[in-house]
Amino acid sequence: MILRKNLPFGIKQTDKVTLLHWYRLMAIGRTIDERAPNYLKQAIGWSYHAPYAGHDGIQLAIGQVFEKNKDHLFPYYRDMLTVISAGMTAEEIILNGISKATDPSSGGRHMSNHFAKPEWNIHNVSSCTGNHAQHAVGTARAMKYYNGGGVVISSQGESSLSEGYVYEAINGASNEQLPVIFVIQDNGYGISVPKHEQTANRRVADNFSGFKNLRIFHCNGKDVFDSMNTMFDAKRWVLENQKPAIVQANCVRIHSHSNSDRHELYRSDAELSYVAEYDPLAKYRRMLLRYNRATIDELNAIDEEVKQLIKDAHKKALAAPDPDPKSIMNFVVPESYSVELYPEGIHNGQGETKKLIEAINETLKAEFRLNPDTFLWGQDVANKEKGGIFNVTKGMQKEFGRQRVFNAPIAEDYIVGTANGMSRYSDKIRIVVEGAEFADYFWPAMEQLVDSSHDYWRSNGKFSPNIVIRLASGGYIGGGLYHSQNIEGALITLPGIRIVYPSFADDAAGLLRVAMRSRGITMFLEPKALYNDPRSATHVPIDFEVPFGKARIRREGSDLTIITYGNTTHLCLEAARQLHESHKIDSEIIDLRSLNPLDYNTITRSIVKTNKVLIMHEDKVFGGVGGEISAYIAENLFNHLDAPIMRVGATFTPVGFNRILEKAILPDTEKIAKKIVELFNY
Amino acid sequence: MIQKTMKKIALIYSFRSNKTAAVAKKIKSLWEDKIHELDIETLTVEQFVEFENYILGVPTWFDGELPSYWDEFVPAMEDMDLTGRKFAIFGNGDQVNYPENFGDAVGIMAEIIESLGGTIIGYTSSKGYVFEKSQSLVGERFCGLLLDFENQPKQNEERVVSWIESLKKEFQ
Repeated sequence: MILRKNLPFGIKQTDKVTLLHWYRLMAIGRTIDERAPNYLKQAIGWSYHAPYAGHDGIQLAIGQVFEKNKDHLFPYYRDMLTVISAGMTAEEIILNGISKATDPSSGGRHMSNHFAKPEWNIHNVSSCTGNHAQHAVGTARAMKYYNGGGVVISSQGESSLSEGYVYEAINGASNEQLPVIFVIQDNGYGISVPKHEQTANRRVADNFSGFKNLRIFHCNGKDVFDSMNTMFDAKRWVLENQKPAIVQANCVRIHSHSNSDRHELYRSDAELSYVAEYDPLAKYRRMLLRYNRATIDELNAIDEEVKQLIKDAHKKALAAPDPDPKSIMNFVVPESYSVELYPEGIHNGQGETKKLIEAINETLKAEFRLNPDTFLWGQDVANKEKGGIFNVTKGMQKEFGRQRVFNAPIAEDYIVGTANGMSRYSDKIRIVVEGAEFADYFWPAMEQLVDSSHDYWRSNGKFSPNIVIRLASGGYIGGGLYHSQNIEGALITLPGIRIVYPSFADDAAGLLRVAMRSRGITMFLEPKALYNDPRSATHVPIDFEVPFGKARIRREGSDLTIITYGNTTHLCLEAARQLHESHKIDSEIIDLRSLNPLDYNTITRSIVKTNKVLIMHEDKVFGGVGGEISAYIAENLFNHLDAPIMRVGATFTPVGFNRILEKAILPDTEKIAKKIVELFNY
Repeated sequence: MIQKTMKKIALIYSFRSNKTAAVAKKIKSLWEDKIHELDIETLTVEQFVEFENYILGVPTWFDGELPSYWDEFVPAMEDMDLTGRKFAIFGNGDQVNYPENFGDAVGIMAEIIESLGGTIIGYTSSKGYVFEKSQSLVGERFCGLLLDFENQPKQNEERVVSWIESLKKEFQ
């Protein structure tokens, strides 16, 4: 066994200046930790406070091994001492606690006790416990690719290991051999749920003992020196081996989970007394005195200095400005790439035509050639001649290499979560992911998508995930419930993401190019039934660009307006053609191209002209995008309507597999034509 | 000051503890003339080195850790040469709720002592206990006396008495 005196840190061998510095940090942290509930009692704020007392050793150690601007740190909501130890000031902590405009984490937008300083790579994370483990893995992937030379630390509670996304993160880090340290602060409880009701293994990190390339460390998170030595050793090992590690730090939770929890309802007096005995700060203080590394006067002087420091910080934080209510629309979605060549997203080029699948493939390649900081991954996207289930990414890995184009595990959340994380490494990075094999399989990734949709707003504009999420969408292929549905009705409810859904090859190319050059998240929905359909083939200028929020009139008319997108654009064009021939009905067809942002101007201009509108989409009528468009029209263009707003779309059912069922469920030319006639005759 | 020649046995434990103190009280009653009690929470190196024979009360805390009061004394112990000194360790554990680290602290302390040259005595049989892992297990024996107040309280008396009987021979 290695004697403690032979380790890098110990009560006898660590120099006095360092020992007292640590004591001061711990005193600052604990003083704020104990004062935080007062802010709530006085109705000043800090309505969520998860006290860290009992985690002092490991939190001090995480902050001490973290090198700002080189390493990346993902603290969780209990990591107050972690970020203080990493360098954040008492004032910054209080600014976050009472949600001031100058809170470095989020300007008062995110919940209290979510400490961050993106400028130093201390990241702003979700409240979903441990979901930042995936971000950490993504950041580590970039760290390794760019030879950043640092480590990424994901700090989280032991209960988070029950989350599937944490499993995905650790599995991915193990498989990709990435420099991540997952620090598991184990206090034995997930709120009131004891560890034994979470997992069978008390040493929860040992659940991962079968993972290759992964080293598991255990330490006493209540002890400063054991924590320091372990974190120091773990970081050294990760850097030397470029592989991930788990540090399980045994802690105790001296107080309740948070100020909305009352631990006396489920913990005995004996237990509370027992955990109080464990108080790491008291232990550290005793050791400083016992081993004559500090005098009581020295420690008392630090305590007094800290009291004053926090008093001053409190005053400054109280005087800081509150967030401006007028600022709420700031940083919802980042500015997109400025389109100059094709400001309306329309071209007059003629010549060779490309299929929709070719347009996407060639645009991806063109952008990858132009920008070396582009990456693509997804399930099934890169294996020899295969590039995705529909071969959209064919040839990309061959041309751009395995480091930029690679397969992901069958873990949709991981695909999106690591895209978010990789984005965090540098704002110059642009990522394209195939979010799932089919849009219908994207649901497991909704957790990360929703979280990512918050990021730009939540960080007060300090972080934007720059990701294009491609999804093969829609039906008409006989695919059934998991290969034929549309999900944009659900996506449209999320602020913070753009949604585009082209119908033609040129628009697909133009939208993809702009999406890949823009900051922010773009959901790029591809009508898979049209990949090789000659109807969607067009000439595609090599530099074509389509701005977001610009619809395209695909057929001009004067009798009525049809608003549509995706697969149904072609059904509408066919129905309009037939009805023009048979009934002389002159329909104007708007292909929206962008669902968010919507082109209200084009919609308005057309309805003012035709006075009748049919909203037509493949997705379900109930809960579909058409409902929102209808509401807009009813509210703003009512005086221009000569007929009720009509809608055609799928029934409020899943899409059936048997072609007979699919036909009954999805809209077709016949159903559309019938509705057009009804609207025309109204 | 207690002289080495008296061959007194230092019984060291936390005077603020409950279960461990109860065991210490029992030990003291069984071996009144030889036992000298010391509180680990205020123990000094000078006090410690006065003895050659020791009985240590080392309960297991949490998921297999030394109690803070023992952990804090380890750096002091590491400067000592314990060669020629005999140590018997007892400790409380919980087989049912902590089966993966039943009585670990006894094993941890034993390892520290042996690494400093000390001799561990007072091994006991692991028969009658049900657990998964224990750092105090050496072969099929524990390197000390393990007591389980939570799950086998009725056996404590007999186990302590039997252990002290054997220690009386081993400390000769």
